[in-house]
Amino acid sequence: MITVNNKEKLDWHEGMTVQDVVDRMGYVLSIITVSVNGQLVPKEDYATYEIPDNAEVNVFHLAHGG
Amino acid sequence: MATKTKAGPTKYEISINGKAATVVEDTYLLKAVMDAGFNVPTLCNHKDLTPEGTCRLCLCEVEINGKKKLVTACNYPIRGEIKVNTNTEKIKKHRKNLAEMYLGRWPNVEAIQNIAKLCGATDKEKYKSDITDENPKACILCGHCVRACSSFVLQNILGFAGRGITRHLTMPFGETDPHCIECTSCGYVCPTGAIQVTDDMNNPADPELIRRHGMRINAMMAMLDDEQNRMRQVGTANLVEVMDSYDLLPVHNYKFGRHKDTPKIDSGVMKSRYFTQGAADGCWVGCSMACAKAVDGFELKTGPYKGQKVVVDGPEYETAAGGSNMGGFDLDFIVEFNFYCDTYGVDTISFATTMAFVMECFEAGIISEEQTGGKKLNFGAMNEALECLHEMALGEGFGVDVGQGIRRLKEKWANELGADPGFLNDIGMEVKGLEFSEYVTKESPAQQAGYALAIKGPQHDEALLIFFDAINNQIPTYEDKAEALYYFPLFRTWFGLLGLCKLIWNDVVPPDNSKYPPNEATKIPERVEDFQKFYEGMLGEPLDEKKMLRQSERVFNLQRLISYYLGYGTRADDMPPLRAIGPATEEEYLSREERYDKQMKEEIGIDPEGKTTGEKLAITRDFRYKRYNELIDAVYKKRGWDNNGVPTVEHLKEIGIDIPEVLTLLDKPNI
Ligand code: SF4
Ligand code: SF4
Ligand code: FES
Repeated sequence: MITVNNKEKLDWHEGMTVQDVVDRMGYVLSIITVSVNGQLVPKEDYATYEIPDNAEVNVFHLAHGG
Repeated sequence: MATKTKAGPTKYEISINGKAATVVEDTYLLKAVMDAGFNVPTLCNHKDLTPEGTCRLCLCEVEINGKKKLVTACNYPIRGEIKVNTNTEKIKKHRKNLAEMYLGRWPNVEAIQNIAKLCGATDKEKYKSDITDENPKACILCGHCVRACSSFVLQNILGFAGRGITRHLTMPFGETDPHCIECTSCGYVCPTGAIQVTDDMNNPADPELIRRHGMRINAMMAMLDDEQNRMRQVGTANLVEVMDSYDLLPVHNYKFGRHKDTPKIDSGVMKSRYFTQGAADGCWVGCSMACAKAVDGFELKTGPYKGQKVVVDGPEYETAAGGSNMGGFDLDFIVEFNFYCDTYGVDTISFATTMAFVMECFEAGIISEEQTGGKKLNFGAMNEALECLHEMALGEGFGVDVGQGIRRLKEKWANELGADPGFLNDIGMEVKGLEFSEYVTKESPAQQAGYALAIKGPQHDEALLIFFDAINNQIPTYEDKAEALYYFPLFRTWFGLLGLCKLIWNDVVPPDNSKYPPNEATKIPERVEDFQKFYEGMLGEPLDEKKMLRQSERVFNLQRLISYYLGYGTRADDMPPLRAIGPATEEEYLSREERYDKQMKEEIGIDPEGKTTGEKLAITRDFRYKRYNELIDAVYKKRGWDNNGVPTVEHLKEIGIDIPEVLTLLDKPNI
């Protein structure tokens, strides 16, 4: 089980990547930043960065629009 | 080995002068070389401009599958496992020769002298000729200015003409082009001082400071916008798909937050089939974001201009989302209603939100064809919605009613038709008599208060907190939310005080913004600094956050007092309709049953098991209003207002507006 943004619980599976979480949660890639257990993950690593079980994942989508 | 997965970018293992490096596909070779710690001389390259590869100084040798070739590193995108050599004998010779040619032509320009040094070129005489220019500030034809003019401010004032030794800038030095907007971007990027900037416009205290920060924004816009919000390409319309994916796009009078037909009205369709100008369009010439868009040659299908081809300014996000709110998932309809609202002087948001309310009332049987003049006003009745708009403008038929807006319609239908005022109040999306703008606020307490507390009515101008709250869960406690509801309305009001645009502040974000803790990151500190420096550069007076907020706080409190004086400024006026804070009907509850049941269990502490939908709806309603009231208690306190939402005399004193004229506003409420 992993926690996203201190709120959402997602089932963990072996080999789960940041990209999986982003897809699952419907995050839109334009201006989000992702950290796993406090470690910032660069955008180009989303597909390969594996999330450990019990991780705290934070995904921040910056506000935009008027 | 190349690593590629379905969604991520490809990476390559490359070697640079024997040193291994991993790079993301399409990284320019020059960047990879520099990152690996090697230096390569450059002249035409500039960190804030798209490379063109014209000076040929950055030549490097690239080996692919055993084959070697020379490439200009600055504009060579890496697309394979390559071996790179930055300094072969051949390259050294080439660079030296090139540098000698530059030196022969512009012997006294410092930038050239530096390059010559780097390339081991010392002979100034070798290529001396008729075209040798002794001026230390000569133009070296690097092209930075030409590219900055087009990519920073989307102008094309500068260009090159001629070839070889006759190549020159099209705008001769010492002359001005009447179309030049004098933004000074060209002067900023010029490495030699060939372009001189004269700063006498409006007598700023420190023009250099303004320029430094302005250029920082221009450069960021030019380099990052395409991969961030694409404001230049599609403007705020990019939010249509973003909001739909987060279940926050208003659909059918805010009942739902997403719809299967959203792809028919998203920014992709607008870009490919509607926006015609193929260029960014600014509110004023020279805006580096230029997010306004237009549809040209649009043939109208209804109304007084039926059959004519017109130019339509927009649609913006709010207008497109107004379409989904009415169930109108068709851009022809959205563009048409956009045009006629503009033409009639009607706000697209108020019209769409009112119409969505009317449609729900029609479907709920509160009104029928008898009231609507025979129009079947179900969700998605686009032609009928347009008919209402035309009638509204003519002052005829049912359009006259629609034109009254939601607050008056609720009263009218309760009085005249005996409709249940409770239901009308629950689903009528207005506060203080103004219709909601187009975001679904149900899952974001901070945005609920951001809307309902807003002085001029429920719009996000004061506090657009939906991302921080509903999506990021970044402001979880009442205190966090209250702090955000204190800071953002004041910060955003500040733009109004100065007459500045907010989009430049939060629609392009520095790549390293994530280095700040989340609550700071939301403010985009680097951009706030830019705005503070604009102020300082113009007026000569430094500005920090405290001072900035205080400036706004005085105006903000005065506005609230005026609102109070006019009968719109107390707690009762800050109450949102049920639909804004949670599900208002059983249909709505059931559409997200899992979510609401889960919240009932986890947040309210009541087991939903065995309860009817009606019971669950009532429990959710009570909980959410209670939570809302607690939140605004915290906000009022933080803002220095009393329990009724009225600024206290002590607070007015503290912010220095306790003058008699202001204090009288407190004495005479509800005229
Ligand atoms: S001042 Fe601005 S608009 Fe004028 S030529 Fe320079 S970059 Fe272009
Ligand atoms: S004027 Fe300056 S920026 Fe423009 S081409 Fe010449 S040297 Fe380069
Ligand atoms: S820096 Fe001029 S060609 Fe690369």
